[in-house]
Amino acid sequence: MSETASAPPVDAAADERLRAEIAARLKAGLETEAWPRAETSEMVNEIVARLQHATPEDLDAKLTIAGVTDHTIEADEIEQPCETCMYYLVHRRFCELPELMIPVEPQWSCRLWRI
Amino acid sequence: MANLLWLQGGACSGNTMSFLNAEEPSACDLVTDFGINVLWQPSLGLELGDDVKAILEKCISGEIQLDIFVFEGTVVNAPDGTGEWNRFCGRAMKEWVKELSAAAQFVVAIGDCATWGGIPATAPNPSESQGLQFLKREHGGALGASFTSKAGLPVINIPGCPAHPDWVTQILVAVATGRAGDLSLDEFQRPKTFFSSFTQTGCTRNMHFAYKVSATAFGQRKGCLFYDLGCRGPMTHSPCNRILWNRVSSKTRAGMPCLGCTEPEFPFFDLAPGTVFKTQTVMGVPKDLPAGVDKKGYVKLTAAAKGAAPAWAEEDIFVV
Repeated sequence: MSETASAPPVDAAADERLRAEIAARLKAGLETEAWPRAETSEMVNEIVARLQHATPEDLDAKLTIAGVTDHTIEADEIEQPCETCMYYLVHRRFCELPELMIPVEPQWSCRLWRI
Repeated sequence: MANLLWLQGGACSGNTMSFLNAEEPSACDLVTDFGINVLWQPSLGLELGDDVKAILEKCISGEIQLDIFVFEGTVVNAPDGTGEWNRFCGRAMKEWVKELSAAAQFVVAIGDCATWGGIPATAPNPSESQGLQFLKREHGGALGASFTSKAGLPVINIPGCPAHPDWVTQILVAVATGRAGDLSLDEFQRPKTFFSSFTQTGCTRNMHFAYKVSATAFGQRKGCLFYDLGCRGPMTHSPCNRILWNRVSSKTRAGMPCLGCTEPEFPFFDLAPGTVFKTQTVMGVPKDLPAGVDKKGYVKLTAAAKGAAPAWAEEDIFVV
């Protein structure tokens, strides 16, 4: 029996290439919607709904809507790095939120962070 | 021989269906091995109409000794407190409930509706439903906070939507065989033997809970359902992962979040859109934390556990 929605087979090299691509775009100044953070569940649902309507191949749109940053954001006196987020796979350095599914770095952050 | 009478109020019959699936002991065992005489039950009783009414009247008058009165479903008070929306044998069911409860040695409420109102009592509660001795967390209900049956016990609450069949039959056996004194009840009058541990106790996903690996979709075998999919296992009192359903499984084992159906607030958040099967958060932290855990401790524990997670915890280890 296969899982209903899980990460695709791991291709470490492909992960690394995409991670580098994302890092480059963020470093080049891609302005993402890092604020406001998703303070309530209603805000989470709205952001996720926007992600679901974005074209899956449109990487910039995904990064922008989720508010991905290449550094940790602190909100409500709590640091929100990918490495403590529930969607983060530590060993693959990967965000498993079904609407994102992107390789990340542990110190990155996004406004859908949840612990 | 202990005489048992079972009635239904504002109910879907789900607890009767559950009861009929009991195995340890079974519904038949109650009769053949434990001396329970079922005076009448909606799905088992042979009598109809006036013959049922006659049984109820004899129980109230004392002509038939009523040892155990079981009630399933809410006590309906609508419209305007009359209870006329739920008539049975010629009068409002709420009147039968009051008089039969006063006549019974023991009163047992089965399922969420009978215990605290359940789904029918969800706001705006058009049927003006109540549980026998609670309305959600509020003590009182249809019989009042001070009610005790002839044996001196308050209503014994066996919640669930539905209640597990063996919780029902095991409590009925305890009562029928003179062991009711051994039952200790919690603040919501649930038998502690079933409702002191958590749904999470015995959950096969505990390793994923411990290492903070989340399931992201229903039916996944990997990951804990608490973090994203609204599972209430860590704060719900039930033995669902100790006394398995159909002897083989539970919601969480099958990849389905616990809905918290043995707690008085069920259904949570009044079923507002976006609240079912989705962990409610405030700035990324769950609104409802595991029982006894505070926000600061939760954040610290989670960060440490996540950092310590071994690779296998992030993989599907339940392979064929």
